[in-house]
Amino acid sequence: MLTNYLKIAWRTLLKNKLSSFINLFGLVLGISVCIVLLVFVDYESSFDTFNKRSEQTFRVVQHTKLSNKTLYWNTTAYPLAKALRDDFPEIDEVTQVAGPVNQTFNVTNNASATTLFEEPQVLFADSFYPKVFDLKWLAGDSNSALKGTNSVVLTSSMAKKLFGLDEGESGTALGKTILLQSKDPLTVTGVVENPPGNSSHQFKMLIAYEFFKKNNPYYSSNWSGNYQGTTYVVLNDPGAKSAFEVKIQEWKKKYLSELDNQRISYFLQPLNEIHNETLYGASPGSYIIPKKILNVGTGVAIFILLIAIINFVNLVTAQSHSRSKEVGVRKILGGSRKALIYQFVLENGLLISIAALCSVFTVKLILPLINQNLQILDIQLELGWQHLGLILLTSVFTVLLATIYPSFVLSAFIPVRALKQKLQNSRYSGYSLRRFLVTFQFIIVQLFVIASIVLFLQMRHFNGTNLGFTSESIAITQVPSQDKLEVFRKELLSNNVVSEVAFGSGPPMAVNGFQLGTNFRLPEQAENEGLDAEMKIGDIHYLDFYDLELLAGRAFRENKRIFDEFIVNETFLKTYNWTPDEALGKKVIINEGEATIVGVIKDFHNNALQSEISPVVVLNWKSFLNKAFIKLPPTKATALNHIKETWDMLFKDSVYKIQFLKDAIAKEYAVERLIFTGFGAFSILAIVLGCLGLLGLMSFIIARKRKEVGIRKVLGASMLENVVFFTKEYVKLLGLAFIISAPLAYGFMNDWLESFTYRIHLSVGMFLTGGLITLLIAVLTCGLQSIRAAKLSPVRILKEE
Amino acid sequence: MLLSLKNIFKWVNSGGQRIFLLKDINLEVEEGEFISIMGPSGSGKSTLLNVIGMLDGFNEGEYQFLDESVHSLKEKHRSNLYKEYIGFVFQSYHLLDDLTVKENLEMPLLYKKYGSSERKAKVADMLDRFNIVGKKDLFPAQLSGGQQQLVGIARALISNPKLILADEPTGNLNSKQGEEIMELFRQLNDEGVTIIQVTHSEKNAAYGSRIINLLDGRMV
Repeated sequence: MLTNYLKIAWRTLLKNKLSSFINLFGLVLGISVCIVLLVFVDYESSFDTFNKRSEQTFRVVQHTKLSNKTLYWNTTAYPLAKALRDDFPEIDEVTQVAGPVNQTFNVTNNASATTLFEEPQVLFADSFYPKVFDLKWLAGDSNSALKGTNSVVLTSSMAKKLFGLDEGESGTALGKTILLQSKDPLTVTGVVENPPGNSSHQFKMLIAYEFFKKNNPYYSSNWSGNYQGTTYVVLNDPGAKSAFEVKIQEWKKKYLSELDNQRISYFLQPLNEIHNETLYGASPGSYIIPKKILNVGTGVAIFILLIAIINFVNLVTAQSHSRSKEVGVRKILGGSRKALIYQFVLENGLLISIAALCSVFTVKLILPLINQNLQILDIQLELGWQHLGLILLTSVFTVLLATIYPSFVLSAFIPVRALKQKLQNSRYSGYSLRRFLVTFQFIIVQLFVIASIVLFLQMRHFNGTNLGFTSESIAITQVPSQDKLEVFRKELLSNNVVSEVAFGSGPPMAVNGFQLGTNFRLPEQAENEGLDAEMKIGDIHYLDFYDLELLAGRAFRENKRIFDEFIVNETFLKTYNWTPDEALGKKVIINEGEATIVGVIKDFHNNALQSEISPVVVLNWKSFLNKAFIKLPPTKATALNHIKETWDMLFKDSVYKIQFLKDAIAKEYAVERLIFTGFGAFSILAIVLGCLGLLGLMSFIIARKRKEVGIRKVLGASMLENVVFFTKEYVKLLGLAFIISAPLAYGFMNDWLESFTYRIHLSVGMFLTGGLITLLIAVLTCGLQSIRAAKLSPVRILKEE
Repeated sequence: MLLSLKNIFKWVNSGGQRIFLLKDINLEVEEGEFISIMGPSGSGKSTLLNVIGMLDGFNEGEYQFLDESVHSLKEKHRSNLYKEYIGFVFQSYHLLDDLTVKENLEMPLLYKKYGSSERKAKVADMLDRFNIVGKKDLFPAQLSGGQQQLVGIARALISNPKLILADEPTGNLNSKQGEEIMELFRQLNDEGVTIIQVTHSEKNAAYGSRIINLLDGRMV
């Protein structure tokens, strides 16, 4: 019996090559995308869970209450870890990491040639680290490797890069020396496998924490600062979290100053939640994907799959009339309804299984492409055995939803009528259900299209908004040595390909890695009344270079070892309700010291457009003038060569790296761009799938209305009238879908846009455009089919009846 | 007695009016009979055949088939009954296009849960009996009309039915092919199979032992 069914299934597949292909193609597309998205969601929600004790591990986070707001930190003061360890013996483990930071180092190879390397992912970790976080040790002893002061543990990729060692030869790396920052020799005490992509700690090198302490005695013993130290604790019983939080609330006053004790409280955040929680921001060197986005991703996955399933159901039931004779014959020859349902479930199940199998291969092919091309995020998606359950679940879900209904429809045919190939009455053919499905499908399609339009316009808004400063053709490099600022400047300007050069701590917009924060208050205010501000250090050319407009006062005349002048922005003035002129001459205290306001500049976007403009203080300080800003001509190549040559001449001991301000700004919208790219792709996909579904519905409508068309033609209807007769059916459905999808889209997109301070406003046009695009594509898809049907000779149609 | 129909009425409601398809049909069929049902288009011939074949219901009357009261049987029993005892032959053959001759013959046996070897034996037997062994791996579309009908009859016979119902079995065939099919029916009847056929042709009707004439759903 089974073989007979399979045989029939296979032959039917081959007989209707086109529709089988459409069916298969749609399913493979739907299932693949669904699996890819679910793998992505699974990956992004699995961060750090590979650590054996991840359930028991917590990150210590800090809430700092200021007079007007609370700041949330994922880092804490450095001495916290040791204090916790000493005072709470009941905690299983306490560990702290610092960084990752950028470091340069030299390695001398066998032939005594020394090579300079730069590595941005260097993490300082204490000797407890390996007990909390699972590392796979290829060489060295996990208990002692990070104990010494000058120990360093390399990842296998680093061992390969520095010493040319493959994983198997890791042992030979032990005992080798690398020279950090050209002065401190470190001994390799271990080699570990590269941390997995879904680890919050991405590093190439672990340097013993003692080394960090020795070199930063001030930071590492200072309780009032919050730098890059992240503290983790392991509790034997995760349920004891709240009790422990209460305990440290009381305990902290032993170490904190009175003011800090009031302001600062510590909490424990479960390790497994770090990656999906936005409150504390991304941990240093990592990124976060909010839970909400993952939920949307899961939703999109299910919807795409649903569209594909609906297509399948539509196409299968629409073709049912071609199977009606078979159903009739089988029933008359003794097939029970149960046997027929079984047959059709098996047949379609087979098709779906083939599709699922194809999808697995497609996903296998797609994932590496995504990993490579998604430069926004550094992800390592992989389809593994752990996803087997996911794939099975998706397939079973698809088989259940996609086969049961058509099987019931087909098997319900009454044999005598089925043999006469009369289409069954609408109760059995599920015509209204099918219309409902197509409408549902188009609600989803239109949601995607409208969302993409809004996302596109918001992206364009990000890129097109006047930022209030020049961001075009600006290159940024480090300045390794502050003594050479003027020489560097002169050399750069010596060739007229470079027109302007300025130095500072960072560009006007606080893009990643270029921001400095501080607190400001008036001399008469108490310390705890201080407010948050962004601090920028700029040289005398800074304002000119970025075209920052002065509203009052002047630019700096001189940069000093101890700063004495401030330039502030308009938002800063709002704190005290000053006019620009009033502000001049006022004294202000920031964390770093006191100075006089000498200039006021017009507001510019000092934050990416998700956030509001905040108070800015620019200082005439010589320290931190560690970035060079270089204006490039339209043809960059010669200028870049010139910069490189100048660099090599002045700073040959430092690694040359250049980046462009435009790129750095674009990175600020990485998540938004990711969403936009995703939605763009999914809309196209949804449209393709939706059109396949329409094709199915059309062929059904046409089959059903053939006779009507014949009669209309005999009675004198023109071809156009007949085409309209066909099209009005689905234009109505699309209209209905639009009425439902537009308010839904409005709700979703409004919600999304609200997370941006600077956003576009939703307009009717965006929705209408979305509706029209789907309508146009749908009409194009089905137009051809209906024209062909309308052209059929009436004599032939009517004769068949 | 194989079957008997008593006061069978069948109607449909259309536009508030009751249209009778069968009116007061009384018919008794003995085993071994060869009956031809005749009558003009729309007189209810096919409907009567479908009622006898239990493919279609009726509204009033009694139907006894081998001592079973068909009118009071549940759908499932009824289909078991016709599966067991009745074979159907159609004007347009109704072979499954996707199956070969051999597979078409095998299909009724599959639904009756015959074992694989038994099925093979029966199919081989049928192919042999109808002289179509050479065609066993061809698809219906590769056969002439007469050959297709031959397969259709073979399929109807394969599970040894007591009754063959044939709805214009020669309607799509030319006269020579038609004659051959009718000869085959006569031969089967001689072997003891009861046959009821619907036909337009006097000549075909003459093969039978009894003729029933229908007009507007009534036996005349």
